Amino acid sequence: MEALKLNFQDKTNKALGINEEDALITKTYMLVAFTALLIGGTLGLLQGLNRAGLLELPVWFNYYQVLTAHGLLLVLVLTAFFTIGYFYAAMSHSLGGLLPKVRKMAWIGFGMKIVGFVMAVIPILLNQATVMFTFYPPMAASPWFYIGLVFIVLGVWMCAFGAFIQVANWRKNNKGQHLPIISYFATGVFVLLFFGSVPVAIEVLYIIPWSIGWIETINVMLARTLFWAFGHTLVNIWYLTALSAWYVVVPKIIGGRRFSDTLTRLVIILLVIMNIPGGFHHQIVDPGIAESVKYMHVFMSLAIGFPSLMTAYAMFSVFEKTARKKGGTGIFAWFKKLPWGDVRFLAPMIAMIAFIPGGAGGIVQSTNQLNQVVHNTLWVVGHFHLTVGTTVVLTFFGISYWLIPYVSKRVLTPKINKLGVITTLIWTAGMSFMAIAMHWVGLLGSPRRTSYTTYADNATALSWDPYLMFLAVGGTLLMIGVLLQVYAVVHLMFFAPKGETEFPIADVEDNASKTPMWTESWGRVVVLLLLLVAMGYVIPLVEFIGNAPPGSPPFQTW
Amino acid sequence: MNQFTAGLFLLIFLALPPVANLLESIMVVHMHMQMPLLVIAGFLMAKLVQERFPVFFENWNSNGVPGILLFIIIMVYWMIPRTMDEALTVQSVAIFKYISLPFLAGIPLRDSWKKLGDKSKNALIISFTVMFFAMGLLYIMSPEQLCNNYLIIEQITLGWGFITMAACAVVYLIYSAVVDPSDYV
Ligand code: HEM
Ligand SMILES: [Cu+2]
Repeated sequence: MEALKLNFQDKTNKALGINEEDALITKTYMLVAFTALLIGGTLGLLQGLNRAGLLELPVWFNYYQVLTAHGLLLVLVLTAFFTIGYFYAAMSHSLGGLLPKVRKMAWIGFGMKIVGFVMAVIPILLNQATVMFTFYPPMAASPWFYIGLVFIVLGVWMCAFGAFIQVANWRKNNKGQHLPIISYFATGVFVLLFFGSVPVAIEVLYIIPWSIGWIETINVMLARTLFWAFGHTLVNIWYLTALSAWYVVVPKIIGGRRFSDTLTRLVIILLVIMNIPGGFHHQIVDPGIAESVKYMHVFMSLAIGFPSLMTAYAMFSVFEKTARKKGGTGIFAWFKKLPWGDVRFLAPMIAMIAFIPGGAGGIVQSTNQLNQVVHNTLWVVGHFHLTVGTTVVLTFFGISYWLIPYVSKRVLTPKINKLGVITTLIWTAGMSFMAIAMHWVGLLGSPRRTSYTTYADNATALSWDPYLMFLAVGGTLLMIGVLLQVYAVVHLMFFAPKGETEFPIADVEDNASKTPMWTESWGRVVVLLLLLVAMGYVIPLVEFIGNAPPGSPPFQTW
Repeated sequence: MNQFTAGLFLLIFLALPPVANLLESIMVVHMHMQMPLLVIAGFLMAKLVQERFPVFFENWNSNGVPGILLFIIIMVYWMIPRTMDEALTVQSVAIFKYISLPFLAGIPLRDSWKKLGDKSKNALIISFTVMFFAMGLLYIMSPEQLCNNYLIIEQITLGWGFITMAACAVVYLIYSAVVDPSDYV
């Protein structure tokens, strides 16, 4: 009976679209995400103008405060709220509506994140937490900043556990069936969100008593390592979120079928298992880790390249097959048959293309000697504006053009679609200017996280100026992109014509082989994940703790 | 590439001097990475061996117990600090390592695992878990340097390696005790 009822719910859900209560969750999360984009983007422009020497920031809101807020808003708020809002809608759609309990958890999580965020932002505005989004000790912010972060993590956990409850419940009621693919992605993302934020929670709970003064010194290396166990995982959470759209949504939009279900699930499992130890590639020049250990960690990082290559193969195979079905011939058939004028396709497609140089740059940086050249230069900033700022963000943009109409029961008009295409092109142009300039000037030695200076008219520093001007031009274009995108989101949510929009999920090929059941055993995945974490972290952590230096008192360097 | 070639390649790769030197230069990697990989190499090669010599396995390992006993003996032998030391300094012991782990542990493990019942499998995992906790404590608490080749800090690292592996096994055991897969699939 229970199962029957659920089945019925499932059907109504698919027929009538998302129910009001579930939609409200996603709409709220999306509004916060795009507000973060608006504010964060504006701050980005200020930084860009400053770095080009065009704008001096006032003492009451200095470059490093701006940078801290920019990083936190875009890298944490935008991505976390978007990911959670998106996957909650996906679960609502594919698992027959959210359970009332789960809905409540999503709201509690929302409240905790917002409270935490306000607690963290106030000290930034007061110039008491100008520690950048990485908040490396021994720089110490006001304790409120860290307490705010704890609330954000707790809020994220709330949402993760909500998702686990939803998924477990569905599986109990649908024995023998595979979790729908989009919810499978959601499960992977929430598993990573939970396990990835455990280390940063430990770090912050260690920093708080130190920043208050209850303990005198802190183990700097330990804190950095815990941070990157989280920071790197966060990167792969975005990546996995983007992948969900590439594997599941894009094929539907181009009118094709999706790639092998088994291999898709395998890619998810691999990314979940192998991810956390990858954090060490952010510490290649850090002291205290033996060369041989670093060397072995390079393998761990590069291993992530394997699922990426599988993805590239999968995407081209889907394009090719779809084009052939539509009557395309020749090697470039796929190119001509793709719907380039549809923003729901164009944005994620450019996102994928941007991942080619982005991923190549990542491989470069994982190499010890090359890392020493680019470490802490603007090259790195160029790299992550390509990867997160373009690949991830453009995929998010592409999603927004159907997800927001879907949750607000409106439709994407041809006009907004056109606007979306223009936004995508402006964003692409802006990021190309900015990211190429950043990579290049980084190679010439220009440091990251440094407000404009000529170092007393030093010739080398002066030679950076032309590139930095390109950076500012790119930044200005991006600002236009931000404004258009936020306009589109608001329009689609509140003003577009009413109507039904579907949640696009592609089917597998008709002759697809059956997916094996082992892909459903998440317990085993989690145990393997923990084993890999142990393999990656035991050596450096024992070294850092066992041979710890005296530690550092807190410093306010600004 | 079939499993046998993969296993053989892995064995040869692990035996290459630069690879062996790198892996053996860190105590915990020597014990918890190189040695398990050698077992895995044997595990992969086992299939072909089983197919070639079915009668042998039928005669000597019909219920899986002799094979698993051999596996346990080899594994325990290589957990003793002194054996690791000797593998680094005595050529013949080094060769014995490269033979015993794949062929006397990996192959019997594969042949026996399927023949064992669920209870024996869990008993095996539980006893290795207990043993790992015990070895972990031993390596962490020992005030003496146990190997000539490895410093005390490396020994402590190895101890934590044992403890974290045991902890993962505990997570697995709890998971399989609490979650009934038939509720879901
Ligand atoms: C309007 C668009 C944007 C502009 C003009 C812009 C510009 C900049 C500039 C100039 C920097 C500072 C470089 C430095 O001094 O080190 C920066 C840093 C950064 N940006 Fe952006 N950015 C934009 C969008 C984004 C997006 C969409 C994301 C991520 C989703 C992002 C993430 C970051 C991060 C994480 C940092 C590093 C902060 C730090 O070093 O603490 N940015 N951005
Ligand atoms: Cu990373």
